[in-house]
Amino acid sequence: MLASGRRVYSIGERNSKMRITAGYIPNIGETKFDKKILKFQDLEVELPLLTLEQMQRVIDTVKRESAEILKSLSVSTVVDIIGYVTEQFLDRSSSYRQQAEKLLPIVTGYDEEVIRLGLTSFLKTFRKHELQRFLVEDLGNPLLLDHFQPRAKGGFSKAIGPELITHVWAGNVPALPIWSFVSGLLVKAGNIGKVSSSEPLFAGWFAKALAEAEPSLANCFAVVWWKGGDEKREKMIFEKSNLVIGYGNNETLKALKKQVPITTRFLPFGHKVSFGIISKSALDAHKAWRIAHQAALDVIRYDQQGCYSPHLFYVQKGGKVSPVEFARLIAGELENFEKRYPRRKLSMEESVALASWRQKEEMSTFTETGKEVLGTSTHQWTVVFEEEEKVFTASPLNRVIRVISFEKLEDILPYIKPYRSFLQTIGMAATPKELFHWAELLANVGVTRITALGKMTSPEAGWHHDGRFNLLDLIQMVDIESSAIVDSEQFAPYVD
Amino acid sequence: MTQQREIIEELSQFIKKNQASEEEFNSLALHIFNYQYKHNLPYQTFCRQKGKTPRLVKNWRDIPYVPMSAFKEVPLTCSDPEAAVRVFMTSGTTQGKQGKHFHSTLEIRELSMIINFKERFMKETNRIRMGILFPTEEKMPHSSLAHYLALVMKEFGTEDSCYLLKENGVHIQKIISELEHAEKTGEPFALLGASFSFVHLFEELERLGKTFNLPKGSKILDSGGYKNKSKELDLNEFYQLLERYFGVDRSNCINMYGITELSTQFYDDGNEVVPSIKTGPSWIRTRVINPLTGEEVPEGERGVLVHYDLANFNSVMAVATEDVGMAVDEGFYLFGRVQGAEARGCSLAVEEFIQLAKGTAK
Repeated sequence: MLASGRRVYSIGERNSKMRITAGYIPNIGETKFDKKILKFQDLEVELPLLTLEQMQRVIDTVKRESAEILKSLSVSTVVDIIGYVTEQFLDRSSSYRQQAEKLLPIVTGYDEEVIRLGLTSFLKTFRKHELQRFLVEDLGNPLLLDHFQPRAKGGFSKAIGPELITHVWAGNVPALPIWSFVSGLLVKAGNIGKVSSSEPLFAGWFAKALAEAEPSLANCFAVVWWKGGDEKREKMIFEKSNLVIGYGNNETLKALKKQVPITTRFLPFGHKVSFGIISKSALDAHKAWRIAHQAALDVIRYDQQGCYSPHLFYVQKGGKVSPVEFARLIAGELENFEKRYPRRKLSMEESVALASWRQKEEMSTFTETGKEVLGTSTHQWTVVFEEEEKVFTASPLNRVIRVISFEKLEDILPYIKPYRSFLQTIGMAATPKELFHWAELLANVGVTRITALGKMTSPEAGWHHDGRFNLLDLIQMVDIESSAIVDSEQFAPYVD
Repeated sequence: MTQQREIIEELSQFIKKNQASEEEFNSLALHIFNYQYKHNLPYQTFCRQKGKTPRLVKNWRDIPYVPMSAFKEVPLTCSDPEAAVRVFMTSGTTQGKQGKHFHSTLEIRELSMIINFKERFMKETNRIRMGILFPTEEKMPHSSLAHYLALVMKEFGTEDSCYLLKENGVHIQKIISELEHAEKTGEPFALLGASFSFVHLFEELERLGKTFNLPKGSKILDSGGYKNKSKELDLNEFYQLLERYFGVDRSNCINMYGITELSTQFYDDGNEVVPSIKTGPSWIRTRVINPLTGEEVPEGERGVLVHYDLANFNSVMAVATEDVGMAVDEGFYLFGRVQGAEARGCSLAVEEFIQLAKGTAK
């Protein structure tokens, strides 16, 4: 009936509210801002809500200071600073880490242990030596970011980061904004990030820790919030940016793109579908259990909310452990994990969606032979097994996984292919020969990352996010052609 | 007497009596469950999978409920679906599949509607001049609301009652002349229809700058929400506008809550205060559950409504909705249909995927 708008039904309200401030504003000569309060259970998060004029000053400040200060630092110094800050967030005795462990579970709803493990595995990617990997991976010679470097073809080149990158972050996967924020810092750009209402904290903490670690950088970045779809504001900010990095579903990205002028580049990262493929050669009694364990880990990490999280597992027939037995093994593992790492408490919307999805699946077992729906009566997780199901379908997530048997990979490819622009990660368990053969086939239908089961949610440093480059996509190259150098020789004072 | 006939007879008595103790409700519910378990085979499989058979179920609360979406997947009926006298269908969904509710007879459904409507809407009045803001049954043979409105007009409308829609929307001249006629003669008038039709009517009347003051005894009944067919109004605003445009007290503006998958409706006692409390007759009961555990939530907490409608004897008596509500002493608050769950992270949401799949299928 007459329900207006979308609401999240939270159950029970307690009186004692904790309030914290979030976001990060550089010094723009004033400290009084309007406030936006976001409410999460017992926690209120207060974010500065800037007027357009204040926003304008933030933009000017960040542009100016990053040009003067950040761009004057060597890339190795920048790496040192980011690496140092990362270590602080990895150190469980640091106040930053403790704050994150305490507050992120409240804000995102994920279990404390899930957050703790997730943060560590994620942040490891930004330690000093991994940052070096980012640089080498994309640039070969990181000094390109500091000075003109000789090129093999002749001439010299230098990589220049943008004056200003604006990041529009989304979703509730904790700390995820750091990917693009760190990438922006590595190319010495000024960075302004907009946090999402569902995880407004981490990026601001990271900015604050950076400023503490290297006070001269304090005005080189900002972490702000505005209501998504604020067209006037978005237009204004995007016009001043050289690059806008947007996250979200295609609707959101479309709306953002509309505000981006032709002179500003736009890098959209849309929602993605990932899945697993398990070869029969991995399915003997001994190995199958371990693989099921790894597969279940990929499912429970952030309850499949990541773009790299699996929606389903394709399991090959003919192994010692059959696909349906494998489905049961995953079910067993999910049940075990549930005790130690319980699922996030779901909103009423999610609960209903999940319950009705599960019941619909149960109903369909009446007409589809071989199909099985495994789960407990409390719906903490669900495994659906289907025999050679020809359809590629998304999971409602939150620990719901489909296991589908197959004979040959070639049989399932046609069903995956239509989703080309949405495919991302494959978690694979297969022989080396299969791995490379299948990788070829999957690459052709649009998959951009193949990893081991259990690693789906932890991409390596320097991975190609959605097939793209972390740093190369941000910079522009400046070439000094050899002709200019040769020519210049004749004007040297010491010319003979 | 066939088993179906027996149930119909028993139900008719039950409905006509229109008051039942917990034991009486329980006893008939179990009887019908038994019948449905035996004759509705998909439902039987469903119950078996839940480990709940008539032998084990002793309380109506334990009768397995099916989700509304199940009506889209399998024919949930105790008699041959081919032989159904009427099939009501839900409006299209994102997946384009419609839920189907098969009726082997309309006898019980109509009895349920008539007795309940008389008590909750007509009250001491026997007939009233009605204007219907909804298409006719002929236009929408599969709409349960069209059937409902046609029936109440036949049973309780005066001879001059009529439909007030035309091909492409509200028939504004006819509406105005009906309303003016009521104003002039002082004969009470009842305006009944889909909530979204009223919203369209508000727009028309605003454009024309017209308001009415219907005579005492006039009433309004709206049902069904907006379903993307008109702009969404806040509940309070909706009833304010009804009062403003028609001069009918909010206490005489009744909302009917019914779904295609049931055979009985709920009503409130006017909408002076929103949300209003919805209640049903003695042959339907409602539980508010946590959709994940299936357990009743404590009073005062939100949950999903599950209805146990004895008049649904030919399909499945226990139906879980996607409507959020809260139980109170007399009945329940209805807060509305749960909106699709949003994607929280960066993984593709099912809804988006379905849109995509539809796109690629083109």
